[in-house]
Amino acid sequence: MMTMTVQTASTKKERKKGKRWTIHLFPIPALIIYALFVLYPILAALSYSFYSFNGFSRESFVGFNNFITLFTTEPYGSMFLNAFKNNVLYFILQMIVMNGLAFLLAFIIYKKVKGAEFFKIAFFLPRLLSVIVVGFLWKLILNPNFGTLNMLLGKLGLEELQRAWLGDPNTALVSIILVNCWFGLGFGVLIFLAGFQSIPVELVEAAKLDGAKGMTMLRKIYLPLMVPSILIMTVLTFIQSFEAFELVYAMQGSMGEPYFSTDTLAVFFYRLAFGSSTSGSSDAIGLGSALATVLFFFILVCTMVFLKFMNKKEVQM
Amino acid sequence: MKKSNKFLFLFLFVMLFTLVLAACSDNSDDTSTNSNNSNSEDNGKKSEATEKVKLTIGSWRTEDVAKYEKVIALFNETNPDIEVEFNPTKNTEYNTVLNTALQAGEGPDIFHLRPYAAGLKLAGAGFVEPITDLKGLDQFSDDYLAASRGEDGKQYGVPLNISSTQFFYNKKIFADQGLEVPTTWDEFIEVNEKLLAADITPIAMGTKESWLLSLTHGIVGPGVVDGNAFADKLVTGEKDFTDPAFVESIEVMNDLKKYFPANSEGLGMEDIRTLFAMEQAAMFPLGSWEIPVVSELNSDLDFGFFPMPSKTGNQTVTTWVDGSFAINANSKNKEAAKTFLEFLTTKEFGELFVEEFKMISALPGITSNDELLSELSKTVETNSTPYYWVINFVSGDPTTKSVLETELQGMYLGEVTPAEVAQKVQENAEISFEPFK
Amino acid sequence: MKNSSIWSKPFYYVIVFAVATISLYPIFLMFLSSFKTSAEIFKNPLGLPTSFSLDTYRTLWSKIPFDQYFINSVIVSVTSVVLVVLFCSLAAFYIARFKFSWNNAIFFLFLLGMMIPIKLGIVPLFILMRDLGLINSLWSLIFMNIATGTPLTMLILTGFFKTMPMELEEAARMDGAGNLRVLWNVLLPLMRPALGTVIIVNFISAWNDFFFPLIFITEKAKMTIPVGMLSLFGEHSADWGSLFAGLTLASLPMMILFLVASKQFMEGLTAGALK
Repeated sequence: MMTMTVQTASTKKERKKGKRWTIHLFPIPALIIYALFVLYPILAALSYSFYSFNGFSRESFVGFNNFITLFTTEPYGSMFLNAFKNNVLYFILQMIVMNGLAFLLAFIIYKKVKGAEFFKIAFFLPRLLSVIVVGFLWKLILNPNFGTLNMLLGKLGLEELQRAWLGDPNTALVSIILVNCWFGLGFGVLIFLAGFQSIPVELVEAAKLDGAKGMTMLRKIYLPLMVPSILIMTVLTFIQSFEAFELVYAMQGSMGEPYFSTDTLAVFFYRLAFGSSTSGSSDAIGLGSALATVLFFFILVCTMVFLKFMNKKEVQM
Repeated sequence: MKKSNKFLFLFLFVMLFTLVLAACSDNSDDTSTNSNNSNSEDNGKKSEATEKVKLTIGSWRTEDVAKYEKVIALFNETNPDIEVEFNPTKNTEYNTVLNTALQAGEGPDIFHLRPYAAGLKLAGAGFVEPITDLKGLDQFSDDYLAASRGEDGKQYGVPLNISSTQFFYNKKIFADQGLEVPTTWDEFIEVNEKLLAADITPIAMGTKESWLLSLTHGIVGPGVVDGNAFADKLVTGEKDFTDPAFVESIEVMNDLKKYFPANSEGLGMEDIRTLFAMEQAAMFPLGSWEIPVVSELNSDLDFGFFPMPSKTGNQTVTTWVDGSFAINANSKNKEAAKTFLEFLTTKEFGELFVEEFKMISALPGITSNDELLSELSKTVETNSTPYYWVINFVSGDPTTKSVLETELQGMYLGEVTPAEVAQKVQENAEISFEPFK
Repeated sequence: MKNSSIWSKPFYYVIVFAVATISLYPIFLMFLSSFKTSAEIFKNPLGLPTSFSLDTYRTLWSKIPFDQYFINSVIVSVTSVVLVVLFCSLAAFYIARFKFSWNNAIFFLFLLGMMIPIKLGIVPLFILMRDLGLINSLWSLIFMNIATGTPLTMLILTGFFKTMPMELEEAARMDGAGNLRVLWNVLLPLMRPALGTVIIVNFISAWNDFFFPLIFITEKAKMTIPVGMLSLFGEHSADWGSLFAGLTLASLPMMILFLVASKQFMEGLTAGALK
């Protein structure tokens, strides 16, 4: 906008066009609905973290007591640490497996393989399923005694690899994360593909005329131009990894079974705020809100850093 | 061009504001009938129904929709003016849905109350209407009423059914292997050994879902700790979880693992039920509510139950009140709701309940045609021991019961020893269980 | 890329085929298992069903008012998607193409919604919906879908708006186009890949959401497909054939819709790229 007004001769007319006050109405509808149905309830609930609760009734203002309890009292302290570690693994594995694979697949499709339409649809179909369905299907596939995976391993003569994937604390979390990768892969492909396809054809052609090939093309042309979509996917994967809840809850319940090996911060939060229906509920609303607040600020700060980086990159381009 | 842009603009904002305004004015017009003011599609139906009182029932029993339709039909024979709708929510989401609505002063007129402390917490918050003087309550045994009696001594629910946990066994496998139903602890172990020697999985049990572990401890524990004697002293605080007998009960749980199916750490409820129903395992330690489910899965299965044989010689099934029906303190139809609750205390209801639900009624003197169920009902009356994990240990955060479950799971995964399990349970109970403080 | 022969890249094909197989297998398994009995699933999970009878489907269809749920789901999803994409396009245009000093702050405000579990605020939200008279109204679901879909939509759309070259916009403004025309006639057509993405993503989450219908809707006539499906789990916990049939029924409309619409989307994707 700024550059434009400087460039054009008839400045007065342009200012009138570009900067009419009505432009300020553009973000209003989204803001109103978002503020009413997301910001307001969340802020209202965040304030709970400063109160003590007796069952459902809010009692007195206790300052930072809930936060102190969360970090210094057992079992909360070690549960928090354990869940946090699991979230970190969630993020790392998703970045490598899901986003890595999605980038590769998007590149292959962009390069126009035969049947690209079919593959795009195939990769994306899992994303259409409800998480409940996903959890149910994979619980069955990973079932130790009659699940497809163990049967397949048996037929391949790899019996020593067979195990109770979701019951063994060593494999449960990784299994869940890989299922999540299966689920989210298609979305990554879409984003990266949209990114590849936004690259001006002229740039690619020009580089080719200069004789760039293979890895050089990737490093010099594709990667730099894909930075916006890579950053979007990184931010999204980060937030989604630290908010990981639905799939763990659907497959391993609100206790992060077995023995908290699949526990995540959001599952821990749910357990605190809503209790566990199979073990008798224990609604610790104050603690749950405190945990959500901590989680919120952690993600907030990290995202800010990411976005700073994003803006910088754009300036360079 | 410019004009059409402006129109689009106007349209957007007009639409948004009408929406908001419509929503708000709806509310100020008739705050009393929130549920009726939204869409106009079924106005016709509603005006017809206005003369009738309409009750809604909330529950976690999604599997019982068809059965409750029969209950409601029976109720309407004597109360044609009260329309009742049974509207259950999936078990795992029920607490969240109900608690949210109750905290906003809404919710169904009648709802299924979780047993003991878990449900009474709602009464403590003032969400439940006391029904101490309800006609017909006096028939129930005091133990059953206690499941929904508040700390203030008021009665908040009508007990519905008794759940009992015990070993089910496959009669055919037992006959084929020449096995008798065990009546002592040693015989029980012997049965397991013989089955194992015959290459049959003795016990259909999995440790992936931790709630199954407290349930199994409820069954197996009394075999070691002399059921009622220990339970009675435990709840008064005379004995606690450091008691050698209790530690032994945990060790015994650990020892039973060799009788579980392969990969038991990865098996959940559906898996073990299927194993037992498909005759791949001889015994199944679970609750009375599984009888109709197992039968549905394999109608040819001939199975019975046996109470847990103990080292001291007595035999027990483990029991508790599984649910009660209560009235929402904010209900607009409390009188009609009371009428329905009174109906739940009648013999007619009790008979229909046993017949249709294949569960044990909390009402006294209701018999069943189903052989297995009627035998179980008799055993519940003579040989029961309280399931103290649900009755006494569901408070605290985390609850003592959930600590037991988690640590037992850890034990089966080799992370903690039985003694450590007992110790962690004790540490938790000392914080939340009144007699231990 | 036109020089590189397709067959010189067998590596590409191995990868896409392998991933496609893994992607599709569980869905295939769900479909296949819906024709099996529990015993068949248990004893021979890999095999084909002994008979392809539609009886399970018929029983389910008669038990669940599937058509009513379907209509509700369509109303909620379509309205939510149209509104969220419309509102967010306007807002993202404002944030990405103008440099008002508060734009970064607004953008960030929009992102906050992603960083916190909305479930936390369910009680205040319920009270708000009650006061607005929206309990048991499909509007409660539509508003929630718009509000919860806004952060991701804003992130994607703002990102892509920023990549659009300024020259196009300048040219249009020279011709006397106002803001709305620049947005509608110049930028949005170029944004088709991104728009396709946000439409799909919002549609899926609106279609599959079960938490809010569970809380805000108690009348059977207003329920959506996921809630109906959820009750199946309780009713058929032992009858896996029926359960799979139910899951297939619940997932099928979304898949058919996607397959029909995907041609449009995919064409949009390529068309947008070639411009």
